[in-house]
Amino acid sequence: MADADEAAIHSSSTPSTQEDTDLDDETQDFRILNNLTFARILTGTSLSDPSNASLPRRGEKDFEPNPTLHQADILSASRNAMHNALAHPRLHFPKARIIAVYSPDGPTPPPAPKNPEPSSQETGSETPARGPKKGTGIVIHPDACAYVINPKGQHFKSLGQADSWGRVWLLPEEALYLLERGTLDIRWPCSMTGEDGEGPSELPMSLQAAYTCFIGRDGLTVERFSVFSGLRRLGYVVSRAPGWYDSEEEVTGAVQARQWPSINGLFGKFWDWFYSSNSTATGPVAGLGIHRSYNDIFRKLAIIPWYDPVTPKPPQRTTPPFRVVYHIYKPSTTFKKTAPPPPDFRVAVINAQTQPTIPTLSQLGALLESTPLDPPRGEKMSRLLYMRLRHGYRNVVLAIVDHGVVSYLRMGDAAFGKERIYDKGGLNGPKKGGHLHPKGNGR
Amino acid sequence: MNTTPTLPIPISYISGNYYIFSVDAATYLRREHHICGVLIGTLPLIPQQNVFLGMPLELMPEEARLLVEKGVACIVDEKKAHNDGIKSLLEEDRKRYIQDLESQGLHARRLQLQRQEQSREEALRKKEEKKAAKMKKSAEKQQQSPAAGDVAEENSIVDFFAHNQQKEQGSGSGSSSSRPSSIMVDEPYGITPTTSYPPLSEAFSDKLLPAPDVRSSYPLFAHLHSKGYFMSPGLRFGCQYMAYPGDPLRFHSHFLVSSVEWDEEIDLMDIVAGGRLGTGVKKGFLLGGAERKAEVSEAEGNESIRMFSIEWAGM
Amino acid sequence: MTVSNAAESPPAPSSVSTLISSTPTPATPYSATAAQVLHSLQHQHLWTSLETHPLTIPNSESPIYLISGIPPHRVYTHPDEQLFMLEKGLRDEDIPPERVFALPLAQGQSWSLRRMAAVFDSLSDEDVEPEISEEGEKAQKLTEYYEGRKVARATKEWGGKRMLLAMIDKGMGGDGTVVYYVIQEGAVKPRQN
Repeated sequence: MADADEAAIHSSSTPSTQEDTDLDDETQDFRILNNLTFARILTGTSLSDPSNASLPRRGEKDFEPNPTLHQADILSASRNAMHNALAHPRLHFPKARIIAVYSPDGPTPPPAPKNPEPSSQETGSETPARGPKKGTGIVIHPDACAYVINPKGQHFKSLGQADSWGRVWLLPEEALYLLERGTLDIRWPCSMTGEDGEGPSELPMSLQAAYTCFIGRDGLTVERFSVFSGLRRLGYVVSRAPGWYDSEEEVTGAVQARQWPSINGLFGKFWDWFYSSNSTATGPVAGLGIHRSYNDIFRKLAIIPWYDPVTPKPPQRTTPPFRVVYHIYKPSTTFKKTAPPPPDFRVAVINAQTQPTIPTLSQLGALLESTPLDPPRGEKMSRLLYMRLRHGYRNVVLAIVDHGVVSYLRMGDAAFGKERIYDKGGLNGPKKGGHLHPKGNGR
Repeated sequence: MNTTPTLPIPISYISGNYYIFSVDAATYLRREHHICGVLIGTLPLIPQQNVFLGMPLELMPEEARLLVEKGVACIVDEKKAHNDGIKSLLEEDRKRYIQDLESQGLHARRLQLQRQEQSREEALRKKEEKKAAKMKKSAEKQQQSPAAGDVAEENSIVDFFAHNQQKEQGSGSGSSSSRPSSIMVDEPYGITPTTSYPPLSEAFSDKLLPAPDVRSSYPLFAHLHSKGYFMSPGLRFGCQYMAYPGDPLRFHSHFLVSSVEWDEEIDLMDIVAGGRLGTGVKKGFLLGGAERKAEVSEAEGNESIRMFSIEWAGM
Repeated sequence: MTVSNAAESPPAPSSVSTLISSTPTPATPYSATAAQVLHSLQHQHLWTSLETHPLTIPNSESPIYLISGIPPHRVYTHPDEQLFMLEKGLRDEDIPPERVFALPLAQGQSWSLRRMAAVFDSLSDEDVEPEISEEGEKAQKLTEYYEGRKVARATKEWGGKRMLLAMIDKGMGGDGTVVYYVIQEGAVKPRQN
């Protein structure tokens, strides 16, 4: 072993690393579900309640196959459990059945005879054009492609848009997600099945049909859908951000107060100039003269220009896929559909197959620049240097998707230059060898 | 569960990607052809988590191509199949299908009521047992868990109906457990089917697409697969594929796989990064690709793969 | 170009070295990379009986050097080999260290799968016939081990040809660090410890 670091990498069985391992890091043994289901039924807790979701522990796996019957039995039990879990039907209890209708041409008003007054001039067959459709009273998102007839239940607090006829319009990702989780019964429209009348036919859309009709529609790639549904499953509210469409330039969400130099700033500038005017070419970097404080010397030693994320920069163009496409709200954030609060996270979705390299600095810079300034705040941040650095002044989450496997990376715009270590008398935290900590005598 | 679906299995091509929607097909491909894909859907059974996912199964283009080359599967343009299929669906077929669904829903409902009744009795029985056990608690520290375990084995996942029952109780009037007979038995469940076949017809001849285009890593992928490895996407470990010595349900992966072309420039730092990362997670880093000889016939295929396993030497 | 420890008598030249020595050595400048690795193996890792072997690789502007030597401890044991040894009651240190090949490479050096394969093709895959100096029970165990290894060598059960990749970073002048990786032909399952 050349050094302690290298030794550490081998001792991956320490408790801390085990706790770090993500349950969804590798394929899980579906047999765990047997116990899970059973336990829940016994205790009577609802499975759909995320708050008490104590997830199953990682199943034990073997290193390699061996020809024992025992191993074969376990494998076959695992596969059966998997099959059973996958084959579980999507059932709708008659009284709680929520029915929606697929609307292949986007939002349309209800059939004329039912409600002739508000939108008489709009009822003609329209080509689905981008841009808000007026006439329905409320502006329905032009990409909406299914409407719920009897919206009830918690999901519609954060999903869909109601029109003036009490129908709730869903974007393709919303419709597909609700169908997939077994909440929504989407029907083919009569206009497609050739049944008489308007509205929902009796024919339900299958999961397969829903993927066929909704994936690829209006910018909804399967990668974006995977991110949407993955986050929704964890309880986050996910809504489309202005950067959704490749063609449209983002509305700059980053409202930046133009920063005028204050008196202090002007004075500081002068001061800087005064000090830096001593050329370092001919003498010591710290300059000649009498130095009365270390801080002055350190300041003068800082001859490498550093990046300050706070200084306003001209807006840059973001390039897809490095563009915020989702706004994410934590489950604890109060979310109102009609007046969404500022998001907790902003997510860009990247397909690892078409974009196998990390973004260039300018791509990343433009992406971060498109997010609002979010400097480290709070008591903890002001106390802890590394937390501050990690948090950064702007941040964005990259969701990288490789054939259904999603990884999330948080990118923060750190400002190392702003942290004057010399001003603080060294790093925060317990000092080594300090007499306050008698424990620290090992090394 | 050990059924063999009709071959070739249709792989749905939707907007640039490949999917399997039939659970039987997914199970069969995993069992017989070591093709696992990635489950990307929400499990209706437990929809608020990401550890266990459900249908559909997304296939890598490599997996889809391999299956097509083996003659096990074919690629169906699903958009076309649905557009044509729904419009040309005959009224009588549609009606028959809807009737079918209804009777399935009715069956599910009855089954559920049965289960409900069973679990009620079970609970009562256990209560009695508990009482009995309490009475003679002197002898042992015996618990009723063995009995519980047996039931878990038998009913396991199939107990999904019990889950639904709880949901209903929650959303319904909140009445307690005693009421199975009061429910109208003829009210069927609505069903969202997993696949569209039926009602659509599986005559795909005019909706077939050619085998998928694949990356230059395909020869290595196919070679490892032919050696019995189960392959999956490598994003989590920053490589192209993960190679498992057996079904990933039961085994940890052995290799982080990266493919390079014969004369492609290798950055030695990639070897260091892959080798070190792999060793850190008790896996090997496997670097390989197709050998380009002066004359290699197509038939030789597998023989012209060269690959190397790399581990940190620990010195 | 042979560095050898005076205390040890050099072993019989390997097939690679005989192959190399039978062809005239080109008068190229001594590879700085190889020199650095050689130095590291000799002084940091205490390898003995070190040799360098120039190799000519197709499409390569300059010759590649392989280094071989005898490490003080076993560098690599295949998991199944380890199991076999455990069954026989043998530990790593019971088996006399054997000659190991190392391929010195520097970051930035042009490298490819073709070259890697060419280096491996130049390695002999014959088992060196070991001499057993111990006596009694241990000799018996060792004999069994070597027999087992011979079989495994043929079936590649304990891995195929192997060597060390010795890589150095010359960026910013380099810091003298050499990192070592075990590289083996084929898909060889990882060690579990």
